[in-house]
Amino acid sequence: MSTPDGQVFDLGYRHYRGAREGRSRARKALVVNGVRTCLGLGRGGRAKILPVLFLAAMVAPALVLAAIAGLLGPLAEQIRPPGPQDYYRIVSPILLTFAAIIAPELLCADRRDGVLSLYLVRPLSPADYVIGRWLAFFVVSLTYIYAGQVLLLAGLLLDAGAPIDYLQDRWRDIPRWLAAGLLIAVVTTTVPLAAASLTTRRAYATLSVIGLFFVSSSVAGLLATEQCVTTPPAAPGASPVMECRPHLRTIGPLVRLIDFGRTPSLISDWVFGVYDDREQSVQQEAAQIAMDGEQITVWLARPPIATAIASWVLVVAAPAFILWRRYRRPAA
Amino acid sequence: MAHLLEAGGLTKRYGATLALDGVTFTVDAGITGLLGPNGAGKSTAMKLFLGLLAPTRGSAVVMGRLPYRDPGVRTHLGYMPEHDCLPPAATAAEFLGHMAQISGLPPGSARSRTADILRHVGIDEERHRAIGEYSTGMKQRVKFAQALVHDPALVFLDEPTAGLDPVGREEMLALIRRTGREFGISIMLSTHLMTDVETTCDRILVLEGGGLVEAGEVARFTATSETVFIDVEDRGQAVLAALTKRGLRAAAGGGSISVERAGDAEYDAIRDALAEVGARLRRLGPRRGRLSDIFREPPA
Repeated sequence: MSTPDGQVFDLGYRHYRGAREGRSRARKALVVNGVRTCLGLGRGGRAKILPVLFLAAMVAPALVLAAIAGLLGPLAEQIRPPGPQDYYRIVSPILLTFAAIIAPELLCADRRDGVLSLYLVRPLSPADYVIGRWLAFFVVSLTYIYAGQVLLLAGLLLDAGAPIDYLQDRWRDIPRWLAAGLLIAVVTTTVPLAAASLTTRRAYATLSVIGLFFVSSSVAGLLATEQCVTTPPAAPGASPVMECRPHLRTIGPLVRLIDFGRTPSLISDWVFGVYDDREQSVQQEAAQIAMDGEQITVWLARPPIATAIASWVLVVAAPAFILWRRYRRPAA
Repeated sequence: MAHLLEAGGLTKRYGATLALDGVTFTVDAGITGLLGPNGAGKSTAMKLFLGLLAPTRGSAVVMGRLPYRDPGVRTHLGYMPEHDCLPPAATAAEFLGHMAQISGLPPGSARSRTADILRHVGIDEERHRAIGEYSTGMKQRVKFAQALVHDPALVFLDEPTAGLDPVGREEMLALIRRTGREFGISIMLSTHLMTDVETTCDRILVLEGGGLVEAGEVARFTATSETVFIDVEDRGQAVLAALTKRGLRAAAGGGSISVERAGDAEYDAIRDALAEVGARLRRLGPRRGRLSDIFREPPA
């Protein structure tokens, strides 16, 4: 289409007569904008570097696991290489670091730049705002968490000679990693956002979240490490017993409660119904010190399931409370 | 028809500080200046009308609704804060489109409104550049644009000329006048500068210390508060006598002669008086009534 005569019209100001969708549109827009901010969309190339690097770091272990299963081929049945049940434990440090670095920007920037004051004079309540930001990072978190599992599943299906049989055997893994991923994403969203609600400096929020996750894990790891004691057989003919318990017997489980860095792993193990490799390694240890033909009974103090659940509730409820307090009615 | 804004015994107390003390006024369509020194309660009044604060006593009514209880009314309000409020990493187009959606516009309409409004404020080529790279004047225009992008019925502008150089200030005031007169969007403009109000507003509310000092048409204030100052090299007494003889309210003080309430006729009379005496004129000019004049010498 072309206009034969170049004519310039000054249309002047035109009032908007279209739809006004109010609060529901505002909420949607806030979530979409939050997701775009996290991924660096609509911004310069530099804003996209970190999200892409982290996605690669999250996906790479899944590809490695799929490749190992592929190389082992039929042997995989006996050797049982790490699979979907181990993926979250492997990537949880990467995921926690990603969350600590990316999520705080959602809240810090709006307060630092003063954009929050523009949101709150529109049809949004403070609660709408904070829930919208939370949902945005929750969606991003879930995407990053599931991406690896989806690729791993695809890889395992390709490796398997008969994908249908594989699915029949292992279909239960899928709802498990969906559920565990959901619970983990709640943690990786709530904790960094709560830290971000307390400062306008993203770096402070990031450091405090990394500190919380990794320092709590180191401390808890030291206090809760199992010490294994082998006792000779109580009666002739009985086998010796190797008993492994945390150094601090009674408070061992309580220490695990504040082991926030390991909450994702505990949740994943709980959902998949596995305890971590500790059991395997202790078994191996026992086999090494066993005399010829001797059987050592291994007794390993496991963190009770309640610890995983309680730790998750604690690491979600406390930050959620902070968020609620901070955005109940922020100073205008 | 109901008033656009109605304050009825509006009171806001922050702890021990009384920011607004039982203020009552109404605001109708047009450009209304909210004038007062810092701390007079201007920002507090705006925040009460936007529903960001709850009144301690009294009521702030916007288009017949109470914004604090009924935030939906904000769909029809715009607000340009005094402080920085722009994300430096976003482009103006992206930011405005987002803000239009936050005000409830669907994405397609948000885009077309963004293009329209950026053209009106004179940001065209630059709209796909990051806001952080803009000049102060351009940032101020983006701040103004975000308040208008959803086509509100009324916009609150909090010190819109703060921090601008004289050219930028005049451009911003011209934009505000055009928005109020041509676009038909009502404006409440807070400022501590009388000249902003004089050149731009139809009506004025003067706040001081949390109370309403004056309210009325701007013309009334400017017409009665303009004073001409005359500095002469010599023959000051003769000039004063000649002015008084012509019926002007002239007085000497502070090294110069002042003539109150000067209009065109008075300027002619001053010229004639100076010519008659033959005094050497050093300086002659109006000093528009400043805030302090209004506060301390209300028009008789």
